[in-house]
Amino acid sequence: MQLKISLAAATIISAMAVHAEDYVSVQYLQYNENSNRTAVSAPSLIVNKDFGTDYTLNVNIVSDTVSGASEAWYDSASGASAFSRGTGVNASDVKYGNVAYSDERIAGGVVLTTRMSNRDELTIGGNYSREHDFDSKEVSGEYMHWLDSSKNSSLSFGASYQFNEVLVRIDDTTSGASATTVSNDDDDDDDGESGASEVYDADALTLQLSYFQNLNAQSYFKIAAFYIADSGYLTNPYMNVVRNYNEVTNKADVLGENRPDSRVAYGLSLKYANALTDNISAHIGYRYYSDDWEIDSHTLDSDLYYELGDDWVFKVGLRYYTQSQAKFYNASKDYFTDEVYASSDQRLSSFDAITYKSDVEYFISDALSVNFSANYYEQSTDLKATYFMTGATYRF
Amino acid sequence: MKRVILTAVATVFLLSGCISDVKPWEKETLAKATMKESGTNPLAKKYEEHIYFSKEASRGGSGVAGGGCGCN
Repeated sequence: MQLKISLAAATIISAMAVHAEDYVSVQYLQYNENSNRTAVSAPSLIVNKDFGTDYTLNVNIVSDTVSGASEAWYDSASGASAFSRGTGVNASDVKYGNVAYSDERIAGGVVLTTRMSNRDELTIGGNYSREHDFDSKEVSGEYMHWLDSSKNSSLSFGASYQFNEVLVRIDDTTSGASATTVSNDDDDDDDGESGASEVYDADALTLQLSYFQNLNAQSYFKIAAFYIADSGYLTNPYMNVVRNYNEVTNKADVLGENRPDSRVAYGLSLKYANALTDNISAHIGYRYYSDDWEIDSHTLDSDLYYELGDDWVFKVGLRYYTQSQAKFYNASKDYFTDEVYASSDQRLSSFDAITYKSDVEYFISDALSVNFSANYYEQSTDLKATYFMTGATYRF
Repeated sequence: MKRVILTAVATVFLLSGCISDVKPWEKETLAKATMKESGTNPLAKKYEEHIYFSKEASRGGSGVAGGGCGCN
């Protein structure tokens, strides 16, 4: 249940018209964080095939190998582990730092697009992902309706439902002050091996309404409103908080974090693309997000493509992201006492992030191309990451 | 929510004044790979979005499928 590159995300369904094309693409991703934190190696395969003019099938598979460490509170007297927890531990032994982990994952997805006699499109998809402590199954569908005879504008409605199962190690410190607040544990079965784990559900419903419009022969825009409802075990089983820290008695409790068992979010995304010249095109996007954990975020994204002759395509991009912190987040070791919800997971903090992106694709022939991209991601927290991708695509 | 709706309505209203009827034979540029919403490498775009999902606290807006845990 680590970084989970692409997971079901291998089948994001676009509201745009399908640019149908038969191809096979093999890609390899290498992701590395600073300070020997998370490292991911992820080879993947994607196949896209038209069947006549009415059907397009897209199949993908990805395998991740994740290793490294995440930052978390732990009781150093019992080792640098996410499960180095306890009540009444020595306060001087409470440390914040890297806790090691590793994981492997296999995932795949299938998407079928069907075109009606009026060329409206129905897209249905399914995804499956499995790793040692996390199972995910997802179904999704979207209907796109053309609004005009020239097919310059469309309205789409999509929905997906994700059924996730989280294997959580259970001990008397797993859920902090509110173990009983996890109300959806209807599976309640141990893993049968350690006898100390339980499977919890964590489901996600996503709805999206999109409007797409060609503005002229060189540009288009798309606007989408989305709604996301997460429910179930939303706590990160590898993150801890410090409660009842007392310097006088030199005692503290290091316990598993605890998050609400529901989250409702909504937002808006805008996308604009313009072919500035015959060989230069620009994409600009903005997204607003808000949820009932009091996290608001704004994202600005831009990409610029340059085609050099028939053989080379270059891309540079810049992304800026900012978010506010969750209402139950605090990074300090002397803040939490008996609060029901508590997290020190840095991803729930207030921070900014910027990504510098670059990519080049070289066409060896009309049918075969190779690509390489290099990217740098930096947060206003201490997280920095690089990710590289290389691969080849064969069109037939 | 009111702010989201107002932004959506304002955007559509402002851009609607720029719309011209593009005929099928005029869509060569719009059909280029560099104009696709997912870019020239859809798989790379999806990798990128999942990295953001794993390292940030918000998601959505790019489609109805996707997600996961991203705990570390």
